[in-house]
Amino acid sequence: MPIYLYIERTGVLHRLHPTVKVFALFVMFWSVYWVDHPLALLPIGLLILAAAESAGAWPNFYRLRWLFVMVILFTTLTWMIFYRRGPALIDLRIIHLSRASLLFGLGRGLKLAELLATSVVFLSTTKIEEFTVGLSTLGVPYRAGFAITLAFRLAPLFMDSAITVYQAQSLRGYDFNRGGPLERIRRYVPVIIPVFMGALRKANATAMALEARGFGRISRPTSFIEYPVAARDVAASMMLVAIGAIYFTIYYTGYGAIPLR
Amino acid sequence: MTTKPRTIETAAQTPLAVSVAELSFTYQGSERRALSGVSFVQARGEMIGIIGASGAGKSTLAQCLNRIIPEFEAGDFHGVVAIEGQPLDGKHVSEIAGTVGMVFQDFEAQLFSTNVAHEVAFAMEQAGMSRDQMNRRIGPALEAVGLAGFEPRDPTTLSGGEKQRLAIAAVLALGPDIIVMDEPTTDLDPEGKAEVFTLIRSLRERGLSLIVIEHETGELRACDRILLMREGEIVAEAPPDQLLTRLDLLEGHGVHPPEINRVLAALGIAAHARDVDHAEALIRGHLPGLAHDDGSPAIELRAAPAAENPAPPLVEVEHLNFSYPGGPRVLDSIQLAIRPGEFIAIIGQNGSGKTTLAKQIVGLLKPESGRVTIAGRDRAALRPTETAHEVGYVFQNPDHQIFAATVEDEVAFGPRNFGLAPEEVKRRCAEVLSAVNLENQRESDPFLLGKGERQRLAVASVLALQPRLLILDEPTTGLDYREQRRMMSLVSELNAAGIAIVMITHTPWLVAAYARRVILMRRGRLLFDGPVREFFAADALLSSSSFRAPEVTALGRRFGMIALTADELIERLAKYR
Repeated sequence: MPIYLYIERTGVLHRLHPTVKVFALFVMFWSVYWVDHPLALLPIGLLILAAAESAGAWPNFYRLRWLFVMVILFTTLTWMIFYRRGPALIDLRIIHLSRASLLFGLGRGLKLAELLATSVVFLSTTKIEEFTVGLSTLGVPYRAGFAITLAFRLAPLFMDSAITVYQAQSLRGYDFNRGGPLERIRRYVPVIIPVFMGALRKANATAMALEARGFGRISRPTSFIEYPVAARDVAASMMLVAIGAIYFTIYYTGYGAIPLR
Repeated sequence: MTTKPRTIETAAQTPLAVSVAELSFTYQGSERRALSGVSFVQARGEMIGIIGASGAGKSTLAQCLNRIIPEFEAGDFHGVVAIEGQPLDGKHVSEIAGTVGMVFQDFEAQLFSTNVAHEVAFAMEQAGMSRDQMNRRIGPALEAVGLAGFEPRDPTTLSGGEKQRLAIAAVLALGPDIIVMDEPTTDLDPEGKAEVFTLIRSLRERGLSLIVIEHETGELRACDRILLMREGEIVAEAPPDQLLTRLDLLEGHGVHPPEINRVLAALGIAAHARDVDHAEALIRGHLPGLAHDDGSPAIELRAAPAAENPAPPLVEVEHLNFSYPGGPRVLDSIQLAIRPGEFIAIIGQNGSGKTTLAKQIVGLLKPESGRVTIAGRDRAALRPTETAHEVGYVFQNPDHQIFAATVEDEVAFGPRNFGLAPEEVKRRCAEVLSAVNLENQRESDPFLLGKGERQRLAVASVLALQPRLLILDEPTTGLDYREQRRMMSLVSELNAAGIAIVMITHTPWLVAAYARRVILMRRGRLLFDGPVREFFAADALLSSSSFRAPEVTALGRRFGMIALTADELIERLAKYR
């Protein structure tokens, strides 16, 4: 099973200029950020689904299906309970359910799911080298941009390591599911420590290998791959600016907010 | 042979590749010097091997040659390192990358890109080369390491040997005159090792100056010189034919001498064998009674018959099939039985399904079809913890389980999880720590132990659950010869005490010297399951499996014998003296 999300294809999203892809990521996050109402979040959700279809990213969504389910369910339910505004439909002292809290909870769940889905589409269509180029073009210093993208490369390796450590401790009879929520979190210490120590070693080894290959020798390294700007990049950028503007307008005019009555 | 080299060249004297003078380094927080007054020179085009036990200072020395030390490691640094006559003082690691290429042991940590061509281009991008320059260099670099045509491949899909060759290509593309390799084959299967050493020999023929740190002395025969290190010092320096025949010196410094040299010495042949062919010629010259005139072997080639084990199986695997989600079949119609007291080696290339099979047996994976039974009970109906007293599994990397503050707490973790009484936990800790020879370290911080000690601690922490079968996944990877011997003595003692052993390994001499049964896997299928001696007698199987017999076994075959160890071969050849 591949450990990275990138899917080798030649679709239009794959062929976008790296800077446009990073810009798209920013615009989608921006747009989702400004609105809370599920109906306002719906169009952008549909846009992401269309992008996923175009990018052929469904296998990655399938791989992460439980994460999506958990994020949506947990966030929605938590906010439904703790958002205590609007006339109550059900009021049990701790739990205060209102039309506003239902909408807000659902909106928060959708919001997080859309952020996650945008990231999945981005990583399905963007190689880490492209990510670095995109960040660099947008003004992020090369070393910082490379460090960010390296984190994306190493994260799956650390996840892999965490699974192995979990298995090793389980085989020694350790029960991760004992006790209440706080106790359960505490019980992950036998996983966290080995993974953290391994991550430190891996990061050190990677840093040494990078420097030994000349990383950091010049502030703006050249790029092996040429990324020419095409008409589709201009069109996509204009569309992204429009989306960003529309969502800011929705926020500014108050249409994206949750009505309290 | 010099036993204490003290030649110090200056930049102006000769066109040296490397010149190291009175180099000392002490890691911050350590009282012991990792390097102490090390001096040596390397002529251009020379190939130097560096050997020594773990902690001898080999990697520290290598990292001084491109300034990783002292740039990455804080400590007390003295002495001069000059590359092509230029002292490195004040230079950054990245500035030296074009002159000194460094290949590390961990091939995963030195690949950063999403395709092979880009991986090779990475260092050139950092040097500010133009796209044309990069394109001109990528092809020859990949061709030099035998990866031409691999340009679009994702490096994560390559085999271990291919990954390490790619790391070498990435270094070669910058055109360095000197390449330093720090145990480049430690994590590779025999085929991967062979690929890398073939490449190293071809680099030497191209005139590159090479420094190779390696535990397998047999692979260093092509060197011009070998440096033997101990406790931060070079204690001997000589060409291979002089140093690799000093068996007591090597063994005394925790280095595994070439076994065929040991055979020659025992037969009274004062010579260094360049390879198995050479050893055969030397022995035939010395023992004329061995060969018939027609060249046929004098001794009948015959594998010992397999001994029957009447005990009921501890583990039975029946028609087992398995695939990871969306992937190809990893285990295909596996059938085997493991009985009490057996000592089994599971071998095969990386990705052949060895670890997946082990995970099926311990219950970390469920069969797609077929079944596994543990002491007659269906594995699928049992949680892994329910059979912890039957089957223990020691992961390849001990650091995947160590987390406690003390050695004793680490060992006690398992028994405590099973709710054993404190007295019983204490008793078991004492027992297993004594078995693995760590009883004096019970209060030590496990993270401060050496790799060999951490590996033995991992075994102890599984042994504390008193399993009847112990599965060890590559228990000697990354250990030096002395640590390997210590680990295998422990495993043998456990086996002698009645614990069945299943050892996944890539190391041929371990299979020959310790296992009694071999399971050879390829692409998820069992290719062979039988006695060790029978396995090493099956020529066609050996050549098709990419598993190389130990040199001493290969040498014995030339005389029609199946000898698993040097002692066995010496004993049989001695009759012809």
